[in-house]
Amino acid sequence: MRSVVLFGALSALLALPDALAVKSQDFKTCSQSGFCRRGRALAARAQEAQSSWNSPYSVDPSSILILPGDSTVKAVVKSSLYPEIKFGLELRIHDDGVVRVLLDEVDGLRKRYDEAASWALVSEPKLSKGIRWAAGKKELRAVFGEKNDIEVAVNYDPFRVRLRRGGEDQIVLNGRGLLHMEHFRSQTLKETTEEVVSEENAEGQEVLQIENVRAWFEGDSEDAYWEEKFSSWTDSKPKGPESLSLDITFPNHGTVYGIPQHATNLSLPSTTGESPSYTDPFRLYNADVFEYIASSPMSLYGSIPVMHAHSAETTVGLFNAIGSETWIDIAYPTKRSTHTHWISESGIMDVFLLPGPTPEDVFAQYARLTGTTALPAHWSLGYHQCRWNYVSSDDVRTVQKRFDEEDMPVDVFWLDIEYAQDHKYFIWDHKTFPDPVEMTNEVAAAGRKMVVIVDPHLKRTSDYPVYQEASDLDILVKPKSGEGEYEGWCWTGSSSWIDHFNPASWDWWISKFKTTKIDTGFSWIESTEDIHIWNDMNEPSIFNGPEITMPKDSIHYGGWEHRDVHNINGMLFHNNTAQAVRVRSDISKRPFVLTRSFYAGSQRVGAMWTGDNLGTWDHMAVGIKMVLANGIAGMAFAGSDVGGFFGNPEPEMLVRWYQVGIFSPFFRAHAHIDTKRREPFLLDEPYKSIIRDILRLRYSMLPIWYTAFKENSVTGMPIVRPHYVMFPQDTAGFDIDDQFFVGSSGILVKPVTEKGKNEATIYLPEDQVYYDYFTQYAYRGSIKGKYVIVAAELHQVPVFIRGGSILPTRERPRRSSPLMRLDPFTIRVALSKAGTARGELYLDDGVTYLHQQGELVWREFVAEQPQKKITRISSRDLAAQNPGKAVDGVALTTYDPKNAFAKEIEEVRVEKIVILGLVWKPSSVKVEGGAELKWEFVPGVAAIDTKEGTASVLIIKDPKVLITSDWAIVVS
Amino acid sequence: MLWLLLLPLPLQALGATAKTLGVSPRLVSEYVPSKSNTWTCLDGSKQIPWDYVNDDSCDCADGSDEPGTGACPNQPFYCQNEGHIGAFIPSSRVKDGLCELDCCDGSDERPGVCEDVCKEVGQAHKKKVEEETKIRKTGSKIRSTYIAYAHKEKKRLEGVIEASATEIAIRENEVIRLRDITERAESLSAAALELKQQSPLYISLVTHSNALKSLQREHKKHLQREEELSDILNALRTGYNPNYQDMAVLEAVRGWEEMAGLPHINDVGKDSVSNEEAGVQEDTASDVAEPEEALDDEMWSAEELEKDLDDLLNSDYVSLLLEHDEYVQSPTEGSALFDIASYLPDSVVPQFEGFRETLVSWLVTLGIIKGETPSSTDTSHLRQALTDAENELKKVKKEKEDAENDIKEIFNVHGYGLEGEWKKLDGTCLRTEVGDYTYEVCLFGEAKQIPNKGGSTFSLGKFASWNPSPDVKPGEEAYYQKQIYNRGTRCWNGPERNVVLLLSCGTENTLHSVVELEKCEYQLTGTTPALCRPLDNFGGKEGKNSNASRDEL
Repeated sequence: MRSVVLFGALSALLALPDALAVKSQDFKTCSQSGFCRRGRALAARAQEAQSSWNSPYSVDPSSILILPGDSTVKAVVKSSLYPEIKFGLELRIHDDGVVRVLLDEVDGLRKRYDEAASWALVSEPKLSKGIRWAAGKKELRAVFGEKNDIEVAVNYDPFRVRLRRGGEDQIVLNGRGLLHMEHFRSQTLKETTEEVVSEENAEGQEVLQIENVRAWFEGDSEDAYWEEKFSSWTDSKPKGPESLSLDITFPNHGTVYGIPQHATNLSLPSTTGESPSYTDPFRLYNADVFEYIASSPMSLYGSIPVMHAHSAETTVGLFNAIGSETWIDIAYPTKRSTHTHWISESGIMDVFLLPGPTPEDVFAQYARLTGTTALPAHWSLGYHQCRWNYVSSDDVRTVQKRFDEEDMPVDVFWLDIEYAQDHKYFIWDHKTFPDPVEMTNEVAAAGRKMVVIVDPHLKRTSDYPVYQEASDLDILVKPKSGEGEYEGWCWTGSSSWIDHFNPASWDWWISKFKTTKIDTGFSWIESTEDIHIWNDMNEPSIFNGPEITMPKDSIHYGGWEHRDVHNINGMLFHNNTAQAVRVRSDISKRPFVLTRSFYAGSQRVGAMWTGDNLGTWDHMAVGIKMVLANGIAGMAFAGSDVGGFFGNPEPEMLVRWYQVGIFSPFFRAHAHIDTKRREPFLLDEPYKSIIRDILRLRYSMLPIWYTAFKENSVTGMPIVRPHYVMFPQDTAGFDIDDQFFVGSSGILVKPVTEKGKNEATIYLPEDQVYYDYFTQYAYRGSIKGKYVIVAAELHQVPVFIRGGSILPTRERPRRSSPLMRLDPFTIRVALSKAGTARGELYLDDGVTYLHQQGELVWREFVAEQPQKKITRISSRDLAAQNPGKAVDGVALTTYDPKNAFAKEIEEVRVEKIVILGLVWKPSSVKVEGGAELKWEFVPGVAAIDTKEGTASVLIIKDPKVLITSDWAIVVS
Repeated sequence: MLWLLLLPLPLQALGATAKTLGVSPRLVSEYVPSKSNTWTCLDGSKQIPWDYVNDDSCDCADGSDEPGTGACPNQPFYCQNEGHIGAFIPSSRVKDGLCELDCCDGSDERPGVCEDVCKEVGQAHKKKVEEETKIRKTGSKIRSTYIAYAHKEKKRLEGVIEASATEIAIRENEVIRLRDITERAESLSAAALELKQQSPLYISLVTHSNALKSLQREHKKHLQREEELSDILNALRTGYNPNYQDMAVLEAVRGWEEMAGLPHINDVGKDSVSNEEAGVQEDTASDVAEPEEALDDEMWSAEELEKDLDDLLNSDYVSLLLEHDEYVQSPTEGSALFDIASYLPDSVVPQFEGFRETLVSWLVTLGIIKGETPSSTDTSHLRQALTDAENELKKVKKEKEDAENDIKEIFNVHGYGLEGEWKKLDGTCLRTEVGDYTYEVCLFGEAKQIPNKGGSTFSLGKFASWNPSPDVKPGEEAYYQKQIYNRGTRCWNGPERNVVLLLSCGTENTLHSVVELEKCEYQLTGTTPALCRPLDNFGGKEGKNSNASRDEL
């Protein structure tokens, strides 16, 4: 399979059928990008030179300055190529062991962009206390960590940073000598034209000689230093060359993950070295790629420069805080080591080394840096129905009516760009949407919401108040001259873009979303608090721009070029929109804002989706991998459009796609304007009923999803977890990316993403029982890992419960999730081999921020065997014991189990308890200290058995225990 | 925040749920305990204690033990709705905290959540039914005039058929007679004609004519191609989807606009720009219109080619050949009629010639002149008369056939309805203005989209069928509530335009709304009296239907 993927990818890149997919000529390859070309050429020269290659960069030992008390050390780094240029090195050790390495040109001709981290970081990281740096003759060292087993060492000459654990190298910077920070220089006449260099005058000779001195490192020519052409565009590059090349080596880790967003395997394929999977490096340059390829290292809509390096022994992480275009080459010189080479166009070096040593630790370390996914509005975990476009308010009403007639749950109806008159966002087209507020209120009457699109391109007409105000405030992105307004082409025709880097834009933008009149200009009075927002096209997508985006020499606030901030740009728009939705009403409510473009830190703001996918099986399959990869990089609230944006999926594909969708954190169906309508109620039987059941399954599992979101919001652990996260030592699972777990719930899913399948093969990685969610069939894994084959007819999605899990669900179908608030719970206890199990449930009002004041319910369910032949299922409070871990962002100090929210749901009961895998038929089932309960036992395979077969099932009917109270049920 | 209202309710409230809550009157008798105080699920699958019925915990596979709690999925809940009409709601709506109109007595929610509004709902419903009845009454009166029209039309058509049958008989005889005369005359002159046709001049003329015809055919092909190309390019220009973000497409559009002298589509409607563009447009337009080179006097202009070439090529060369003979030979033979031309002024000659030919042909036809050796001219005139007579016959036959077909359609379930109520509307055009377009549907004809501000009109399709759904039987009301028009103008990069016309009973023939739910798929709604069936029918049927549909829930 692997080699097929490899060859497929290669041939796709080389000979892509034009009609079927992306116009690859619209986007640069490395060889068309000057700095990437230079970076790769540097690597090639190093490769050729082998052991004679030495980095020209070194630390000046006399410059070392250890700052007292705060774990920071500074030094001067110099390059032997340019002895007159100074670079400032700084290393900081955070209190959780993360090491931050900064390098910047000092007293240069210009300033490198150094604000990327400030946008990404949730706050200034806390530095460790009491770490002692020791400056030796050859290197500078510090030892730290709970067990004092982490060491960071800076070698002076050549300059090299190593993070070690237990004496083993974990991460090495500049180990291969590819570090190169191109210093700022002046464009002299002789540098502008190549002819001068080759002419035979004395001066020219001199230049040649000087160049030859550096040629071994920098190459012979000044390749695309001052100008770069691509297709019909010219990038003027007024600052000249300023790229940063950095090699990062993981000498003891043979697998790397992360650096989303790419349509590729979770375990990143190689791009250099022996027979690489791809010929181009992975690229991070937010781009609106039309009909992207399902296997490619090409850029997509978002960029998170975060990588996990993993081995059976340890996991380490890396966050390279850079906002400019970045290319990453990956090679696996051996099975147990990884070379990466990061080539960025501009910006300082600002690298965070995350020491791990487990995946869980890396997630926590990264979460402390850039934050976690804010706990979303509960309704946003329901089903989202979108289409480009529901054409009128009556259309929306009809769609809602049809869902209700078919008794299919749905929480959100979406409006794409056609609601807006001439695509002037906020401005309803009253010809088709004469009554937007009434329409929204009718949707809201069934507990539902609307999401309406607001894109970043503003139509340049004076009758559009949003544009006019932005123009008057002078907060629009400027063209390369630095004067006036940058003008580009998008849905709106001639358009301009707000510069969200300009602080003057923030409050102004936030005020546009007020649902009441404001004194200072336009506000969206034709909206209600039930309208949430979709930010699309925020890469930004510009139809007549180079690579469908903004020219790199456009100017942002502070004079920074677009090239410096491109990958961060989309996040700021998303962030300000979410802030606006959050504060538009008197009582802050959790905003839901979906973004297409994102960066490190975007997880704090809202959800993302994988953009304009195709309605093909390939895209369905790669969507799962992309969602997993986003989770690795913190962007946990992620999903792919069900059905595929482009094309008309046949019913079978649509059904399978819904099965994928219900197991995505973000679950939305969407379709292009040229497609046939495909809302689930339109399908014939049996497809319609199958999808109804699929939707209901998602809704029944919402308590599990919400609990997983809560955990993510506190710990940063992904919501959907690939195998290596769950079983870091199981090497056989490192490459698995087509099956995954939902939070800590113990649910294992393998969606079917191929046509005509009626069975699926699942990998069970441990010596544990796994129960089929629907049939209760008990499968057995093995410590070495084991594959089992299960039935997967069209109506079946392979879902398993890991032995040892307790799942709270709500089984009553409703029209929308808010209507489930008072519904009783069903508790599924899936006993482990040891006869035990545990699970969690988190609840709050799902709408406000009152949970940050302790208005929440967090329960733990435990099944244990206090003595032989007795199984005790109990429910206890978790919040009071762990108030600090109950809420994201805020550390509660106390918890009141009688808080207002708990009181609101105090009547909510458990209506059924199902116990899988008991050994014997019980003689008695009682609430502890209470009467005998009604129950039913179907004999079958016990959890502690070694055989497979349908598990024994004990169903306890309506135990009349409450979800918010402590209780115990004894089965004996 | 409806759930807030629920807070004070004690759990015991549930315990009080009556065993027959949510049970429809039809099934109430099933909800009684057995002697041993048990109860059997309605599907017979399981026996459960009577306590388990409506205890808010699902026990039966068919959900029948929980008719009133919503504990079992897909179990309908019956609302008595006293003062209104009883109705089923799905279990998903039981105790969901929302009050629904279908359950106006609020019995599906916990006590105190929903007020009993059945009185108001019932009244409103009654009023609505009354209004509908009124419309239907008026509508059905109009409808009966449609039916009367259909009967009249049938009679008229029967008359047409009868009359044309008679005429056909007469004309058939006439054709036979003419054919006989013509064939005889032609056999006489055929040999002479054959000889004359070997004249090099004639052969050359025919060759020229053929060449010219071929050229014209090729030219037309090119013109058609050009037209198609410009249609494609215009469609591209107005319809291209910037989502494809394809600069090649944009270049093509700009190139076409330049060539055709059009303003850039995205600038259309832009006030400030359009003025400037309009100036440019005029310039370019006049550039294009300018002839590339001055024509020789005798050369035909494009207009003449377009207009007159066909006439030229339709010349009867045999007649010309014969006429030519007359010019070459001395005009001694023949009657004065043929000589008059030489005494007439030149300018009158053509008219005279025409008059003469007609006169002669009629004289010959009527047998007044009977030249002993009929000239070729005469035979060709005879041939013409025969052809004309044959055409007339064909026309009458067609008339009859059409009338016969029409009569078949009038009372046809797939055509104008069993009662012929739609015949009246054949060709009736309904129009409505939506946005920048007027939409027009000529019933049983064509649907069109006509731009209000100028531009090309698109066909949205021609009438294809009534409701094609396999679930709908021809002849029932739902069948006539939907018309399909298809095979309209093809969309750029998309399918052919189609229309679904949804009709309902109303006192007027009108269009209400137009939506393009999918690209190039238009859904139109409208009303017509043709759908207002008489009240007796309506009252009985609808009443039953609505009960049935409620039961099905």
